[in-house]
Amino acid sequence: MTEPITWTCTGCALLCEDIQVFIKDNRVEKVEHACLKGKARVYRCKHTAISTVDQDEVDVNTAISQAAKILEKAKNPLLYGWSNSTSEAQVAGIELAQTLGACIDSTSSFCQGITINEIMNGSVPSCTLEDVREKADVVIYWGADPMSSHPRHLSKYSYFPRGELRQRGYEEDRTAICIDITESRTAKICKGMFFSIPPGGDAEFMRALMDGLAGRVPKLSYDFDVKRILELAAVLKKAEFGVIFVGLGLVYSIKEEFDLISEFMSTLNKFSNFFLIPMAGHFNMRGFNHNLHEKTGFIHRVAFTKNGPVPGVEYSVVEQLKHGADAVMVVGSDPLASLPLSITRRLKDIPLILVDPCSNLTSRVADVTIPCGASGIEVGGTAVRLDGRKMDISPLIRGNGLSDEMVVRRIMEEVS
Amino acid sequence: MALDVGKFIKAPEYDIKIISRRDVFQASVCEEDRFGDDCLELSALIVLDAAEMKHMGILDGANVRLASKWGSVVVRARASPREEQKGLGFMVNGPWVNALVSDETPDGIPTFKYIEAKITISKDGITGIQELLLL
Amino acid sequence: MTSAMEIYQLLPKTNCKKCDESTCMAFAVALLSRTKQCTECPPLMEEEKYIDSRQKLETILKPLEGAEETGLIIHEELCSGCGNCVVACPVNVANDPYGSGKGFGPTNGKVIFRVENGKVKAANIEECRRFGKDRILCRACIDPCPTEAIEFV
Ligand code: SF4
Ligand code: SF4
Ligand code: SF4
Repeated sequence: MTEPITWTCTGCALLCEDIQVFIKDNRVEKVEHACLKGKARVYRCKHTAISTVDQDEVDVNTAISQAAKILEKAKNPLLYGWSNSTSEAQVAGIELAQTLGACIDSTSSFCQGITINEIMNGSVPSCTLEDVREKADVVIYWGADPMSSHPRHLSKYSYFPRGELRQRGYEEDRTAICIDITESRTAKICKGMFFSIPPGGDAEFMRALMDGLAGRVPKLSYDFDVKRILELAAVLKKAEFGVIFVGLGLVYSIKEEFDLISEFMSTLNKFSNFFLIPMAGHFNMRGFNHNLHEKTGFIHRVAFTKNGPVPGVEYSVVEQLKHGADAVMVVGSDPLASLPLSITRRLKDIPLILVDPCSNLTSRVADVTIPCGASGIEVGGTAVRLDGRKMDISPLIRGNGLSDEMVVRRIMEEVS
Repeated sequence: MALDVGKFIKAPEYDIKIISRRDVFQASVCEEDRFGDDCLELSALIVLDAAEMKHMGILDGANVRLASKWGSVVVRARASPREEQKGLGFMVNGPWVNALVSDETPDGIPTFKYIEAKITISKDGITGIQELLLL
Repeated sequence: MTSAMEIYQLLPKTNCKKCDESTCMAFAVALLSRTKQCTECPPLMEEEKYIDSRQKLETILKPLEGAEETGLIIHEELCSGCGNCVVACPVNVANDPYGSGKGFGPTNGKVIFRVENGKVKAANIEECRRFGKDRILCRACIDPCPTEAIEFV
């Protein structure tokens, strides 16, 4: 049997660094320790992308030139995607946006960006997944179902492992709590600590918990056993090292009053010691936020104008797709599958470029498609884990195409 | 063509709120083959409370049309193995549920959860991925 | 998990010693570890008033019987390769404390569970706490599984 290569999985933003991959003749033979999602990632997609212009197959140079032409001609180009690319490709993308005077945004725009922003500007305290593993005694999955989105979350970090301060493991040393609108796979593991709330009931539940913490009787407009809220408040107060994992269920439910998160955390931390970690999905979603922030001071939704980079909701991908952008380049994403059809319909009317290792729904309507090597499989680099830790990603097999970074840089050469 | 009488009798319509969520099995098969049958099987799906399905006269595995102000698709209805809150339907992230989502985005974030829609039993086949592209 | 206490509650609690154990509690422990069987308690088997208790005991102890052979079933189609069982199984932890015990993939071949190609695989099953002399009704791989992919029959 061949010697395995230790690999960091790019299947999700947990970036598991202990995967063993057996490779023979530049092909993956077997993968160990990766979950089903990671396995699908290693074995690659069945339909790899091809170079096309107007849906006709061309050589890659022609496709790149055509992409450059489209972007050069556009008054308001949008560069979108990025969460499935290495940081190196993201940095190249940001430079291209600057060169073009374009808008740039990532999937974090309608995902965990809002939470990551709170952490990056210091409004809420955060910690690393290693801290969670070694120290956490109380973990809360709020509007999050890691068993469905980040399969190894509980086994690798947040619940099952024995940590330095949690030697007896989950049975005695850790309490896992789930707050959700349905008894998810994660809630099932949290057993007696599952709090079922109505859709949109998160903000009220948060306020009720704050009341409970402060020793007031919680009031709720929906039916909920107040005693259980008080019990939960008592568990939170007693925690030595608590962590809240914020899922999209919570983000979407309180997005209109997101300040509540920092208010809740500071109230909680008057009594206890809690940290917040966003459940970013795609492997390098958080990397984009870090890289753009380094360059512009903003984490997403940025327009490069004559007066420098400007942030704003009008530069978000959805607003730009509805009205604004007159050409779009998508890198490593499939907006036709992941965004509302009511918004992506307009992509059929404006010039659309797709850079992706795989053929997807968006490639079926794109004016130009450019294949690239799959990040973390054929292309190495760095990425930022969901807790903000920078990770090295080494390539597994030799690809025969360009990396997404190279594609972006080639386009840049042609436009400038 | 034979006259299908059933076609003219309108099946009752019910209001539901659709919540989109993730699923590791769907994510893996769709990553492997976005256009495959397995991806369709696990994506073109809505999960409902079993008792409520009974009340609506929807059999486990039946095709249902979901229609919102923004679009309409036919998917398979499945009974949840657990009791769910009344009036909710769960769908896995993907183009099927996204066909129903509003384009109103005051804060730059679409309403992916709490999608207001109507559900009816449907005789039509499940909306295929090619059809979605034409919608 | 079935406890000795739970079993004890169903016994006559007279400490009659007809089972050759010093107390009913000791007999309960023996039942749990399968070194003794219900039938070895004469009052329980013979006296009318214990019929209910006897039936309850039989139901409780039934799953233990299966554990005498390798009754482990993995429903592969339900497994997401999450590794919960890998990290929770006490045998994995004892035999690989700094690998599986700390949440990583197993670092040696002495473990029961490991994930290969996204699905769990079992080996060394004879080490399972459900077998052997000091067997207990361990559920440390069953309860943490999010999809009920593990079953013992
Ligand atoms: S949890 Fe995420 S990073 Fe870890 S193996 Fe699974 S897909 Fe890969
Ligand atoms: S029953 Fe216990 S010892 Fe046996 S395999 Fe499961 S977790 Fe391991
Ligand atoms: S806990 Fe269940 S789903 Fe997870 S690896 Fe074990 S058998 Fe598979």
